[in-house]
This record gives sequence, structure tokens and C-alpha cells, in this order.
Amino acid sequence: MTSIRITKAGPLTTLQDAGRPGYLALGLSASGPMDRSAFERAGLWLGGAGATGIEFTTGIAFEVEAGPLAAAADGGAFALRVNGKPAAWPARVVLKTGDAVEIRPGAWGNWGYLRFGREIDVEAVLGSRSTNSIAGLGQVLSAGDRIAFGAEAPRQRAPHPRPAERVEAPIRVVWGLHAESFDHQTRQRFVDESFRVSARMDRMGMRLDDRGGVFHGQRVLSLVSDAIVPGDIQILGDGTPIVLMRDHQPTGGYPRIATVVSADIDRLAQLRPGTDLRFAPVTLKHALGLKP
Amino acid sequence: MDADLHTLPLILPLGDRGLLVRFSGTLSDAANRAALAFGRRAAAARLPGVAEVAPNLVSVLLRYDPAQVEFERLAGEVRLLLSAPADDPAPSREHVVAVDFDGEDVDEVAKLIGSTREDFIAAHCGAPLRVLATGFAPGFVYLGFHDARLNVPRRAAVRPQVPPGTVLFAAGQTAITSTPIPTGWHVIGHTGFRNFDPAASLPTHLAAGDRVRFEVAP
Repeated sequence: MTSIRITKAGPLTTLQDAGRPGYLALGLSASGPMDRSAFERAGLWLGGAGATGIEFTTGIAFEVEAGPLAAAADGGAFALRVNGKPAAWPARVVLKTGDAVEIRPGAWGNWGYLRFGREIDVEAVLGSRSTNSIAGLGQVLSAGDRIAFGAEAPRQRAPHPRPAERVEAPIRVVWGLHAESFDHQTRQRFVDESFRVSARMDRMGMRLDDRGGVFHGQRVLSLVSDAIVPGDIQILGDGTPIVLMRDHQPTGGYPRIATVVSADIDRLAQLRPGTDLRFAPVTLKHALGLKP
Repeated sequence: MDADLHTLPLILPLGDRGLLVRFSGTLSDAANRAALAFGRRAAAARLPGVAEVAPNLVSVLLRYDPAQVEFERLAGEVRLLLSAPADDPAPSREHVVAVDFDGEDVDEVAKLIGSTREDFIAAHCGAPLRVLATGFAPGFVYLGFHDARLNVPRRAAVRPQVPPGTVLFAAGQTAITSTPIPTGWHVIGHTGFRNFDPAASLPTHLAAGDRVRFEVAP
């Protein structure tokens, strides 16, 4: 049976597929890749990939126990070595038994993806193999773990994608569920000031440093708990803004000033701690015309 | 109906793929019943482009695909549904949940409401509660409403983690955890009942609208 063994793994290495939508009424968010377009691109490089791939953060290394195995990698710009030799990124390789793959952080990005020409042999939970870090579904991968592969993925006739470019532009948002709870001046400063991505980021959310003090001294509002969607920007009681990401809690009671548009969530996820960003409000109609 | 439901519910965008129908800005029995009733109706209506209907405490989220339906058109469909005559009352199942009232805050809660521990437990289990919503975490249920004299605010401090099966109490409600979570609610007890089993064909036992009767574990 085709298999690999993980020899090194960053702290947030998980299995992800397209996600587990449809279970909000059970209190489960959909999970799925933090950078969905990179996950999809990695599959397109292969021209037919298993539905489940590996999402990694600060890097990963593995050995092929039993090949051959077609693999592709994408997301941000990582540094890839196959058997010690540097290779291009994004990458498409056919690995044979004994090959060693090592991926380290490169020029930019937080999240990278490995897709394979075969399905990963793990049980689906509620129709998905995505790890949900708050619900405890699926597993976090670490060194020593073995990943076994099953059936070969069907070939797809699709053109190769364009490699992602690093875009430095404001993160576009639509005004949020509780935008009216913030006064005009606060909303204006939310747009005018920049925020810095903090080191406290994971699959649930990204905490931002409010360097301009936009929400400093913000009075805590008592709100009834309501639905959350990925990209919601909630303001904690102490004024800390958090952008809720793929493993978000399904409902919450903190006020939400804005929601990152679907097209920009992937780009936001790839911003490293220390990066300054600005938010730019767009209309709903405009948001729907945007591409990731 | 409560005074706050005399106005029409708000139809709001939630991001660029969500439409929220919100019946009130505050939690009340009437707002919750209206949300649950609309959630059932919206799920049954199979609205075009709607991928998911999720009821919350006072609102219903419709997750939609903007490639299939525009927000304004979906909002129009929602208005039509809202103006249709009320349907049959919710089918309601009743469950019994046995609780050990051994929580670290149970004496404090009894004191806050000016009662003894025994009287508080008797009052807590005296009348069945309704499942108001599942949310916040997998299988986490909000149950209400207790008699107004049992109303206590949340704790000032948050406990970083309580285990699955913890029975929580605040704001006229009882809640049951199914996964480890942080909480600012009072911990009044523990139960062997688990409302979330991802391996089961029906991963949760309780549905919004169901009735739950609490009893003291033998």
C-alpha cells in the first residue's frame, strides 16, 4: 500500500478536504483549507488529486515508505527540497520509495498544501476528512505519523493554474452584523488606521494588534449570541479585533464590525504575524464580482 | 407576542454568502419561537441557491451561493415566506437529563437567588425547559427559560476550560457542554448525557424546540 511517514511537522499540520458544510445547526463550522485557492491550485497542478490533502504551517518533512506517489505543493512561497536538492515552488513531483521531501518557510505565506494523486486512507466524519480543531474531529499530524493512501484519483482535464502572486492591497470587507453599534468615528477609523497581524493566529481566528487604538476603551456591548461566518471581524471586550477563520465558533456574542469578503479570506490567511494591513469596505454587489 | 416582535424581522447580509433573518435584538421566548418557526419553514421551502438553514437564539442564517441567487432576490423570497400564514406548531420531543448538582458554583447560585441549595435544585428541575438553540460549540445547547426569580448574571471571570457534560447556569437559562470549552457561566453540575457523537448517524440528540426535563441523578 502506498504510504508516507511524517518526519517533521509544524504545530498546525492537519488533513483538510473541501470542508464539512451543513452542520451549523449541530454547532459545527465547516472547516476546510485556510487558503482554499492554494488548496485547489495544488490539486490542479496534479491534474487529478485525491480530495484530501495536508495543510501545514511552518513546514513539514516526510519520507515515502512505499511509492510511487504523485504529489503537488502550493500556497504562499515555501522552500522545497526533494532528497536534499532544491526544487521550484509551487511544485509537482512523482515520488518513489525512499524519497525524502522537506518543506521550510520561504518568502511569504503561513499555510501550504500537499495534494496527492491518491486518496488518503482515513475515515470520513460527517462526510469530510477535514480536521476541525475546536470540535476535536480528525487529527493533528505530527512526526512519526504514517499516512496510507488508497485509490488513485480520477484524472481531470483542467488547465494548470496561474501561480499565486503576493498582493499587497487592502483587505476588502462588507460592513458587519453589528456595524451600527459602533459610532461613526470608530467606523471611519477602522477604515483609516492600519492593524497588525499578531502571532496569535490559528485555524479559529487571527488576532490583530490595534495599533491605532481604534477600539481602545470600546464599551462592552451586551449582545445576544448570533451566527458567525468565516471572515467576521469581532471586537473582544478588551478591544482586541479578531478575524474569525475556517474553524470559527458557529455563534458568538461579541460585536462584529465587518466581514472580510470571500475573495479576500485566503489572502488574509497568508499574511504573516507582523504584517500591517488595512480594511476597505465594499458594497455587497461589488464583493460578489471579486475573484480570489 | 412580545412588544419587540411587532416590527418585521430584519433581513441582513452576513458577509457575501449569508443572509440573516433576525427577529429581535434581545433574547425573549417570543423571538426564539419565531426564529425556530421560521427556520423550519425556510428549511422546508428549499429556497433556490440556499445551501444551509441554521436557526440561532433569535435569528436564522441562510447560507447561500451568490452564483445561484442574489441577496436581493433571496431577501424577496424570505419576505414572502415571512408573510405566509403560520404553519403547524413545532413537533416537540421530550428528553430527560439526569444531573449531579455537584458544580462548584451551585451554592453561590443558591445564595444569589436567596435560596438554599436544595430549593434551588428543586426549582431548577421543577418545570421542563425548551431547547432554544444549539450553538457556540458542537452539541452545546441553550435551554430556557427558568422562572424570573432564578435569573442570575454570568460570572465575572471566565473558567478556561470545563469538560463535556458540564451543566451551566446563567441569564435564566441552563446549558450543557458536549466538548471542552471555556465559560463564564456558573457551573452547577455534571451529567453523563452527551449531546454530540460525530460517529452517530444523528450526531446530536437534542434539537431546537425539544423539551428537556432535568432530574437529580440517583
